[in-house]
Amino acid sequence: MYEKMKARVNWPITILLFVGLLTIAFPLYMAIVIAFKQPSEMTTSISGILSLPETWSLSNFAQAMEVTDFWRSLGNSLLVTVSTVVLCIILHSLMGFAVGRNKGHSKIYNVIYLFIVSGMFVPFAILMMPLAKQTAEMHLANWAGVILLYVVFYMPMNLLLYTGYLVNIPIALEEAARVDGASTWRTFWKIIFPIMKPMHATVAVITALAVWNDVMTPLVIMAGSGQNTLPLAQLTFQTQFGTNYNLAFASYLLALIPIVIFYIICQKQIINGVVNGAVK
Amino acid sequence: MKKKKVISAVLAVSMLSAAILPGCGSGEDSGVTEIEILQYKPEAATYFDQVEDEFNATHDDIHLTISSPNDASTIMRTRFIREDYPDIIGIGGDINYSYYVDAGILADVSDYEGLADINQSYIDILENLEIVPTDGTFGVPYVANAAGILYNRDMFEEHGWEIPETWNELIDLCEDIQAEGILPFYFGFRDTWTCLAPWNALAVGLAPEDTCRNVNAGETTFTDEYRETAEKCLELVSYGPDDPFAYGYNDACTAFANGESAMYPIGSYAVPQILSVNPEMNIDSFVMPGNEDPSENTLNSGVDLMFAVTEACENKDAALEVIDFLLEDENIQAYIDDQNAIPCKTGDFQLASELDGMTSFIEAGNMTDYQDHYYPSEMAADALIQTFLINEDVDEFLSDFDTRWQRYNRDIIREVQEYNEEHGTAE
Amino acid sequence: MKKGNSSKRTYMLITIPILALFVCFNTVPLIRGVIYSFTNFKGFGDYDWVGFRNYMDLFTDPRIGNSYLFTIKLAIVATIVTNVISLILALGLNSRIKGKTFLRAAYFVPNVLGALVVGYIFQYIFTYILPELGKMIGSETLSTSMLSSTSLAWIAIVVVCAWQNIAMNTIIYISGLQTVPEDVYEAGDLDGATGWKKFRYLTFPLIIPFFTINMVLCVKNFLMVFDQIMAMTQGGPAQSTESISYLIYNNGMKGGSFGYQSANAVVFFIVIVVISVAQMSISSKKEEQL
Repeated sequence: MYEKMKARVNWPITILLFVGLLTIAFPLYMAIVIAFKQPSEMTTSISGILSLPETWSLSNFAQAMEVTDFWRSLGNSLLVTVSTVVLCIILHSLMGFAVGRNKGHSKIYNVIYLFIVSGMFVPFAILMMPLAKQTAEMHLANWAGVILLYVVFYMPMNLLLYTGYLVNIPIALEEAARVDGASTWRTFWKIIFPIMKPMHATVAVITALAVWNDVMTPLVIMAGSGQNTLPLAQLTFQTQFGTNYNLAFASYLLALIPIVIFYIICQKQIINGVVNGAVK
Repeated sequence: MKKKKVISAVLAVSMLSAAILPGCGSGEDSGVTEIEILQYKPEAATYFDQVEDEFNATHDDIHLTISSPNDASTIMRTRFIREDYPDIIGIGGDINYSYYVDAGILADVSDYEGLADINQSYIDILENLEIVPTDGTFGVPYVANAAGILYNRDMFEEHGWEIPETWNELIDLCEDIQAEGILPFYFGFRDTWTCLAPWNALAVGLAPEDTCRNVNAGETTFTDEYRETAEKCLELVSYGPDDPFAYGYNDACTAFANGESAMYPIGSYAVPQILSVNPEMNIDSFVMPGNEDPSENTLNSGVDLMFAVTEACENKDAALEVIDFLLEDENIQAYIDDQNAIPCKTGDFQLASELDGMTSFIEAGNMTDYQDHYYPSEMAADALIQTFLINEDVDEFLSDFDTRWQRYNRDIIREVQEYNEEHGTAE
Repeated sequence: MKKGNSSKRTYMLITIPILALFVCFNTVPLIRGVIYSFTNFKGFGDYDWVGFRNYMDLFTDPRIGNSYLFTIKLAIVATIVTNVISLILALGLNSRIKGKTFLRAAYFVPNVLGALVVGYIFQYIFTYILPELGKMIGSETLSTSMLSSTSLAWIAIVVVCAWQNIAMNTIIYISGLQTVPEDVYEAGDLDGATGWKKFRYLTFPLIIPFFTINMVLCVKNFLMVFDQIMAMTQGGPAQSTESISYLIYNNGMKGGSFGYQSANAVVFFIVIVVISVAQMSISSKKEEQL
């Protein structure tokens, strides 16, 4: 019976989902078309907007790469994003474990949990100026500072995710390990950390996307250091007295590629992630 | 386990690189004076990169760095809060300059010889911007811009339209244009700041130049001074597209470039953007004729870029040497060619053909600073004007303007009035 | 006994340094921000203490009031729209369909784009394409740009916010649905539960933690809406879409009323915490009931 159910494809839903994709494809079509057009092809009439570019020239992309110093900015973006994601997964899952396993019976841990999670609601605007001052005083007005800040900014959200996930992991697993003589530290790395894999993937995706697209933090913290991430470099296209949408969109599409690849890799993890295995 | 090792390796590498990276690229100490300029016009970045290279090629004792970041206002603010001041800042002659002078961030450069070559009217403009009269000169005006009405020269010639010199002529012209089935004006009011362009151009002719200062001194109100400006602004908008609030600045530039309207009330700074869409276009401009008497019209022009040495700059002589270089005639000429600007330095400069219609005013020195250079940005006068143009309620707008002014300028007003009490009213 | 102590110590050794990091870069600057809210600090130069003046002003400033109304309205509507659509989408994507991997990847794309970029693309659509469509179907309200109408611009913002946030919510719902053990369905099938009933009584209770996360995140994200406003309306038309974050950034950071906007941010923070705590306690009560 189970086998039979698995084989049956639900066609109506499949078709509906493909039709629904249009809502996503259309804006993307716009972005791609604009990225290939020349500024002189931009008109304000509807047929002109929807039409395909006269020539499929890559010149916008080449120019966008030059203007944004693409490879260096890309390297910077990768450095920040990868470091942040790795640190977040390790530190936040540890924190999620320590807090999640104790908040049920310990008031202190519960307070710590609520304290950190409520940090999610602190508007960045209020932290911006004090942080600019503080990081400068601590000689952290650089990449290290930005990465540390990200680890702190996404801690509330990730802590929430990890502790939420931990609820689904039976404590019996740990107790069994403990009976076998493993320390708590070892238990975490040997048992809990691997089981949390789907959540690692989720955290990685959420954090990576947020960091990848973030403008404000590097802008405020490292202002004027000349080290650009991709979104910072892309601000070039947004001056008040003139915007080159064609170059801008070409550059946005370029910046999209690495993160899409990353998502495709992680997606498998998210989807394969099942707690069932551990329960059974 | 294997996985754990991999993770710790990645972690170690990433932390290490994060720790090392800021270390590289730090400056060497070799007796060369470092001068850094932070200027707020990213659109002129190419020009400044070139100037930087030329300067460094010809000077051994000073190394110049010019940064033209994209969000300069935020960057300047965060650097000030960090107390990490550049040696020279390039800013506009607006209320930020007033704030910086008031906060003692800028150094007095009144002894600088180069000031003698600067058109006095621009130095006066800076003087007027000081919240309370402060001894000294705190900026070297570099270039100015002008706002009026840009028009499609070919279209005007083709139809034989004349440049209007009075308000009635302007309205008649709009009627003529409309009768030909052409849109007189285009607007990009979705970008709220563009609402200020026609507003400023009208206000310079219709309201006293010192309106804002007088309001701060408690001598008048905007309700008394701005009514005519508001009414005429509303009338202008009626000759624009059906829904001017749907379009942004870029859309308006594009539409004007494609000949969708005959005129576009905006500043000279829009010309490069318009030409990027239609490089062949033949554009000229004229002064907004707000009055019935042509002699009362004045060109709306303010300091677009000035250089100010910061108090924190350690080697002010070197900084002034850099400014000397920037003020060399060929550099200024290169800038105004690039950005369609008006030089603040006296001398024989070749102005862009797009400014032809304004040249007589510039030569006669008949220029008045933008009113909005006195508006604090947090008051959002532009949004207030946008609201007004949508709601079309003059009385409500004027009283809102006064209320909001009082709210956002409270500290300035107190400072001004305390100063006046102490020194007796200026007049 | 000894075992218990050593695990306690491990927990503490993990918690304390990470908590310290958090306090250093979140709590300390927050406190500094609160201190600034009692000054007339412009962001540079000298400043004076003004006591509660900034707070008093907040309650008499119609602009602040309007920005709260707009932001809350946006957050509520966008949260509902986003959650309904993404839950449906997640159920669809989790059912037995062809091209599952492709569809899941494709539906996630909006989330990959930066909010500013999405804002620019939609600005085009709302300015040029939608009005033409409106004219074609003869709709009066749609034939002009929604972004230029004070009564419709907020809906355009809702659409963009939802369009982008649905992706992440769907992913969270999908990972929630994955935790529903297959035998629950098998049991359900034996009982003859189908469709809505199956969802309401079998699936939904099991994914409530994910529902809670999504609700809280949505409300919080939408309350802090900033990039979309920046890209699409810049607070216009007629200041009808000035969100709180936009106001704080624009006036506090770019303008000269940092002290005043710090006070605004403090109040904003309290409002968000209150709303979110209320949300969480309501849904955790629900969770217990089920």
